[in-house]
Amino acid sequence: MATTFAPAELRALARLLDELDYYELLEAPRGTAGTALREAYHAASRRFHPDANRRLDPELRGTVERIARRVTEAYSVLRDPRRRRLYDEALGRGDGPRRLQLVESAATATQRTRDEREGRTPQGRRHFAQATADIARGDVAGALRSLQLALTYEPDNAQFRTRLSELRDKTR
Amino acid sequence: MTEVAIGIDLGTSNSCVAVVRGESPEVLPNAYGEGITASVVAFQDDDGVVVGNGARANVIHAPRTTVYSSKRLIGRYFFSEEVKKARAICSYEIVEGPNHSVRIKVRDREYSLPEISALILGEMRSIAESRLGHPVTKAVVTVPAYFNDNQRQATRDACRIAGLEALRIVNEPTAAALAYGFGKGLSQKVAVYDLGGGTFDISVLEIGKDVFEVLSTCGDTFLGGDDFDDRVIDLLADEFSAEHGVNLRSDPYALEKLKVAAESAKKGLSLEDEVEIRIPAVIEASDGRTLSVERRLGIAEYAGLVNDLILRTFKVCDEAMQQAGLVTRDLSGVILVGGPTRLPLIRNAVRDYFQQEPRADVDPDEVVAMGAALHAASLISSDQKAFLLDVTPLSLRIGVAGGLAETVIERNTPVPIDQTRTFTTFQDFQESVRIRVYQGESRQAAENALLGEFAFSGFARARRGDVKIEVTFEINSDGIVNVTARDPATGQKASTQIALSSGLSEEEIQEILARGSADAVAPPLPPAAATSGAAEDLDVDDLDVLPDLLPDAPSGDADAPEGGARAGLEVELDPDLADLGPRDPSGDLFAPSGTDLSAGADTTEEDPGASAPGSSRRS
Ligand SMILES: Nc1ncnc2c1ncn2[C@@H]1O[C@H](COP(=O)(O)OP(=O)(O)O)[C@@H](O)[C@H]1O
Ligand SMILES: [Mg+2]
Repeated sequence: MATTFAPAELRALARLLDELDYYELLEAPRGTAGTALREAYHAASRRFHPDANRRLDPELRGTVERIARRVTEAYSVLRDPRRRRLYDEALGRGDGPRRLQLVESAATATQRTRDEREGRTPQGRRHFAQATADIARGDVAGALRSLQLALTYEPDNAQFRTRLSELRDKTR
Repeated sequence: MTEVAIGIDLGTSNSCVAVVRGESPEVLPNAYGEGITASVVAFQDDDGVVVGNGARANVIHAPRTTVYSSKRLIGRYFFSEEVKKARAICSYEIVEGPNHSVRIKVRDREYSLPEISALILGEMRSIAESRLGHPVTKAVVTVPAYFNDNQRQATRDACRIAGLEALRIVNEPTAAALAYGFGKGLSQKVAVYDLGGGTFDISVLEIGKDVFEVLSTCGDTFLGGDDFDDRVIDLLADEFSAEHGVNLRSDPYALEKLKVAAESAKKGLSLEDEVEIRIPAVIEASDGRTLSVERRLGIAEYAGLVNDLILRTFKVCDEAMQQAGLVTRDLSGVILVGGPTRLPLIRNAVRDYFQQEPRADVDPDEVVAMGAALHAASLISSDQKAFLLDVTPLSLRIGVAGGLAETVIERNTPVPIDQTRTFTTFQDFQESVRIRVYQGESRQAAENALLGEFAFSGFARARRGDVKIEVTFEINSDGIVNVTARDPATGQKASTQIALSSGLSEEEIQEILARGSADAVAPPLPPAAATSGAAEDLDVDDLDVLPDLLPDAPSGDADAPEGGARAGLEVELDPDLADLGPRDPSGDLFAPSGTDLSAGADTTEEDPGASAPGSSRRS
């Protein structure tokens, strides 16, 4: 059943939101997992789901929606063993933020982007570095050649391609 | 009069409207007494419009002016695969509108897809009004779970054009589960297998009394009953051409007759083991003789024609089960939705896959609308009786340098949710960044659906890496995306409800609304902008100085395990610039100069869509 909130209560909760950890937000003891975690999420959703709070005035509805999004985030981190471990560790250290990135791949993605930038094969990297040096020397023809060579090793490297087409545009 | 809100299942092939009066939902039948109404719009010679089952008959004698399966096109770009496919098989004219959108051209008028959907919604609304005897202005409208943000927004636009307030956009399988489990106090896990005319969706849910939690959803927007018909059409056309040397596909009338025959053969096979296909006088030969199609088709031969399509649905089911972390014996119920699930061929295959009999007490044509009606009633009542906790079907991504798209919110993450990520600029003293938002599962930006883009400037100019831009992504309970960018240093903010580049602008919607209600024939839209390059479509004039974002590295990145994923805590970024990627020793020469980076990715050989119109739309 939907509970109606006193506006003051909602506003207070919204102010606290960044200080509450995920467990506190779900009103579940630390370590809650499995079915108990799901039940805590369901209980919190019954209170904060935007559908259940349609009648609030727009400002308060915005507040409830913010809380609802955080509830969902808490659940989606805690139900995933890997993310949960990371979160619990951070929480155990006692300081720092109460939220966790939903996508852990930020580091990996950065690495991949870097690979793409510099090349992921030794030859690709070498020719790309050569192209960079060629450009620094103002040797456009050399740079074009080096980039083409780099691309023969990594034909799908979007970064190499972009650089090559830019260089061609410039020389045109 | 008490307030009423209806539930509408706006289907690719058929639509259905239901309402709750008292306790339980009931389907409101159309004037013919039928529960489902064809999602077909026929434009008459006298400028009138017929919608529904009456319009379906027109497909054969007026194929150019009868629009069907238009939902396949809603929220799509003109250059997309789905639109290409539709252009090949549809006998009405599909043309390109502004911003690479899709328009349907009927005689001298062009209609946007939301306008076509609005005509169908208007029909469903008037069915409800005539059954209820009073006006209806509020509805819950369902969409395939796999719809992306563009398609959802376009559906919302259709509601507005039809004069309906869309209380919620609900996923079809979720609505079906609600209709199945509402008020029963169940605690169980169920799968909803929804095979419609053009799409396949599977959702796995956990029902906990009044809470309907979607654990995962997967789908294929290229797979439905129409594809089954295509197999039979191919068979008949190939045999015909071998026998008579005449290609039936090149004649729109003959093709429509083939379609009708293929569909009725399929329906026949849901009741019998063999059907007779007869199309008398399907075409006239060059010597003036009329030729006919006549053939028997048995269930075994039919199974051979469509078996791979059925298997494809189970590959999607595998994915959904895996994402939900379940095995089939965890499920207490399998709910079938959609016309093709009436085929014993499919029922049996589903039973074998899930190792249990699918529920027999659910009407596959009506269950979605009934769920929508239940939710509509719940939303307007003072106490909420059911809670739908859904997920986002597709990963949300942001475009970064190199034509790549980085995940921000993974698919099957519950909604509503938000996520903030910090990025930096690509070049020193960059003035502006272009923020592009995508949905899809590819790291190549161009292979995902572009939801929208906006330029963000006004942050402090500095060396790259020193600039921090916080981008917040928000997905609401309807699955609709909102993105905000902010400079934490200055507090400067730019926000956009991600505007569907392929849909209608706010001005266009206003214009349509100003012209009058959607059940009047909409006058032609203003002619498509005569531009083919699309730089003009953008809200910024200065493309050259707007390179992509480069992702900022989260703190602790350096000691991330090899290849292993590691979470970065979101706030308190350590601006460790050593981690921001390689220095660009000759930044000026390498600076993107009018070349769009994601368009660059379009030109790789691996991308079959490279030559699609507008695939390098911002160069
Ligand atoms: N009795 C039946 N047996 C097999 N297929 C059917 C039957 N009735 C309808 N269909 C097929 O179901 C499809 C439409 O399904 P429907 O659930 O109404 O689609 P949508 O939800 O996409 O509008 C069409 O391909 C139609 O031919
Ligand atoms: Mg359907």
